[in-house]
Amino acid sequence: MSTDVIPPGKAAIAEQQDEGRESHRQSFLGYLLAKIGGAAISLVMVVILGFFAFRILPGDPVRKIAQSRPMTAEQIAQLRHQYGLDQPMLAQFWNYLTNIATGNFGESYVYGKPVSELIAQYFWPTIALTGTSAILAITLGLWMGQLAAWRSNSPYDQVATGTSLVLWSVPTFWLALLLLMIFGGTLHWFPTGGMVSTGIPTGTPEYFLNVLWHLVLPVITMVAVVYAQYLLVMRASLLEEMSADYLTTARAKGLTEDLVRRRHAVPNALLPTVTLVFMHIGGLIGGAVTVETVFSWPGLGKLTYEAISGPDTPLLQGTFVVFSAIIIVMNLFADLLYRQLDPRVRRA
Amino acid sequence: MPDLVFDNISIVYSRRSRTGTTPVKAVSNVSLTLPAGGTLGIAGESGSGKSTLAMSVLRLLPKSATITGRILYGDQDIQDLSFGQLRTVRWAEAAVVFQGAMHALNPVRTVGWQILEALELHVKERWATREARVARMKDLLAMVDLPTDKSEAYPHELSGGQKQRVMVAMALACEPDVIIADEPTTALDVIVQEQVLNVLHSLVTERGISLLMISHDLSALATICDRIAVMKDGVVREVGDAVSICTAATDPYTRKLAQAFPVIGDPASRLKPQSKPIWEVAADGGTDGLEQTNSDPHEVVLEARGVSVNFRSHGRTVHAVRSVDLTCHRAEITALVGQSGSGKTTLARTILGLQEPNAGGQVLFRGEPLKLTKRGLREYRRNVQLVFQDQFAALNPKVSVYESISEGLRIRKYDGDEYAKVCESLEACEMSPASEYLDVLPQELSGGQRQRVVIAGALAIEPSALIADEPVASLDASVRGELLGLFLALKRRMGMTALVITHDLGLAWNIADTVAVMYNGEIVERGTVEKVLLDPQHEYTKKLLHATPKIPTLA
Repeated sequence: MSTDVIPPGKAAIAEQQDEGRESHRQSFLGYLLAKIGGAAISLVMVVILGFFAFRILPGDPVRKIAQSRPMTAEQIAQLRHQYGLDQPMLAQFWNYLTNIATGNFGESYVYGKPVSELIAQYFWPTIALTGTSAILAITLGLWMGQLAAWRSNSPYDQVATGTSLVLWSVPTFWLALLLLMIFGGTLHWFPTGGMVSTGIPTGTPEYFLNVLWHLVLPVITMVAVVYAQYLLVMRASLLEEMSADYLTTARAKGLTEDLVRRRHAVPNALLPTVTLVFMHIGGLIGGAVTVETVFSWPGLGKLTYEAISGPDTPLLQGTFVVFSAIIIVMNLFADLLYRQLDPRVRRA
Repeated sequence: MPDLVFDNISIVYSRRSRTGTTPVKAVSNVSLTLPAGGTLGIAGESGSGKSTLAMSVLRLLPKSATITGRILYGDQDIQDLSFGQLRTVRWAEAAVVFQGAMHALNPVRTVGWQILEALELHVKERWATREARVARMKDLLAMVDLPTDKSEAYPHELSGGQKQRVMVAMALACEPDVIIADEPTTALDVIVQEQVLNVLHSLVTERGISLLMISHDLSALATICDRIAVMKDGVVREVGDAVSICTAATDPYTRKLAQAFPVIGDPASRLKPQSKPIWEVAADGGTDGLEQTNSDPHEVVLEARGVSVNFRSHGRTVHAVRSVDLTCHRAEITALVGQSGSGKTTLARTILGLQEPNAGGQVLFRGEPLKLTKRGLREYRRNVQLVFQDQFAALNPKVSVYESISEGLRIRKYDGDEYAKVCESLEACEMSPASEYLDVLPQELSGGQRQRVVIAGALAIEPSALIADEPVASLDASVRGELLGLFLALKRRMGMTALVITHDLGLAWNIADTVAVMYNGEIVERGTVEKVLLDPQHEYTKKLLHATPKIPTLA
């Protein structure tokens, strides 16, 4: 009992009140730099971890390459030397660091191409897939979540929440295969894999529509599996907000129920979801590995899957760093956005 | 301008539980009239149904509430209005001043935006254009003495009194005929309370707006309202003009409510909070705790010597406490009085060793300087215990009363009979028989009982001194008296030393021996209660005394 803490000195707070607004605006630059600095440190840790994590993986990449074609011992030694694998671990680490500093992630063992070139090639398909899925899942989840909260315990709420939970608990690969078999295999409504049919010139409207057609099944899979978390977060957040006193004020002012919800309750309930939404985008990218593999979508997820079966260490390092960087940047963005949205945090 | 009439109103909530819905009656057969341009106050404690009644006027009750009877606004029964008609009545004809110091304002919109929203919903000729609305919004802020640039401020950037004034400005926005004020000054300091009451009062008298005001504080109601109705358990116990309710009440409950807030200077309430009939206190107070101990009766238990505390915030230094001297003698209750922001809580934190004073300042316990080491503090806190204002937060909701109290004993490795000690502390706090309360969870206790458990927990380890931060501020008037009585009894029976931090001068008059008035980090006046409160020297003490609402007297 004696270690309880009294709230911070009221005096200090009261005296700050008048000048506080000026000073917190000035401190925005400091806040921005601190956040960017934190993100940079995380990124450096990821880069270091990326090197060691894949050295622990079992399997010798050179032996794997040697299996595919007959090679002499000298050729194997030559290959080891070429990839720098004959050097001590610390020297390899140093090379890795200096190379990354210049944007060089090394050369893929399997593809025989620079990793950065491969990543650049597979990056945009992944963005198209996960970006579309994220936008749809977030919109659908938040919209259904706020309706579910507003009509909590109604049949709508029970059906919406129940359905989303069932889809959430379904394994991603199982749902992907099921959709593939029914709509791709049996009904032939959608293609069974790939991003674009062969023989269509890039850049034409026809190409664009063809890609969209290929996107349908993978996007449905990803959205179905993840929208539940947005729905549940939004539902809980709005339920908490619904008993707030300022909503009574809004009603007393003569707002319609619809306006009370849209103008007052939902914007406030959205605040706590912002951080979660952006954090979950990281999880979405992780889920892309499964979906891309099942639908042969030429993205980073599929590339990673192929790299693991090598193990194609430089490629793994590359995708690992890129995935992590996306998540770190998203979190940084969430922090900055939240600060912009919630005036109460701007002071902190 | 129409009258507002409650005609035989009953309101029932259907409460859902595991066994089905049970009806809970909140208001029973209430008939009251608020004449056009008049002022009516409804007094009552929590659970009396006063807020439910007030919210029924604009049909702001949750769906689980069923109203029977008629609420007439002029000739129109509010309950017959369609939802569209009701929305035009809301705010344009009857507006509400909620307890704005708490959460009645949207935290992520500027206050200007929130006032404009009301104007946009009920556009009248005078504010048909956006420019006219902005101009009116600024006029409204000026009307309640707020600088117009506050329209860009968010609620959290304003103090409690400023937020409350924003609420008043917003209520006035659409020129309503009726204003319903629900606890408009609760949780505000006396000085700020006086400002808000003055604003309300002048608006009501100057504009002829009718006012329905709800409060637990009879003295605050009496300063503005012509007539007062007293409610208890959903029933109106007594209605009458303000002065006769306060001074010549016929109903015993009304009398108890009127006496809960003492008249400073009235010898009848000096060291006698209204908890029980006066003869009981007298019998209780006969023995003086000092006689039971051989120690020096004038021993200084706690002392602050030249204590200053600075905070650094956003590159500026805030002087929260400025070279304060304070002494607490054995078996005395010292009241530390001041507004929020006066530094009284920071001083208390420093005395508790939670905050380090600036170099040169010292906290002494029984003449020994306080050691801010882990070990020194542990020993010190065995001797000095703290009681918080918020009894809801101070008790772990999942732990029984017995566990809450014995926890402190176990931390101190108490080697006596733990069970007996817990019972003894509970009984000392007038919770007897103690065995009935041991397995009870905090939620099953009333606010007053919870605060007793907190005090019992502090007393169990036999501290030399108790520091209480606003111990009764969140309690109902009748419970307040009982708890203050407990403080007095503990002092007399056990020779307890206490430092009570409060913004309430009446509390000091009720129980304290000495009082220290704090303002802007400094103690501006101190001495015996009689000397300071009856013959104040410092301007600030006079201002505080003046702002304290008074029960009107016939004299």
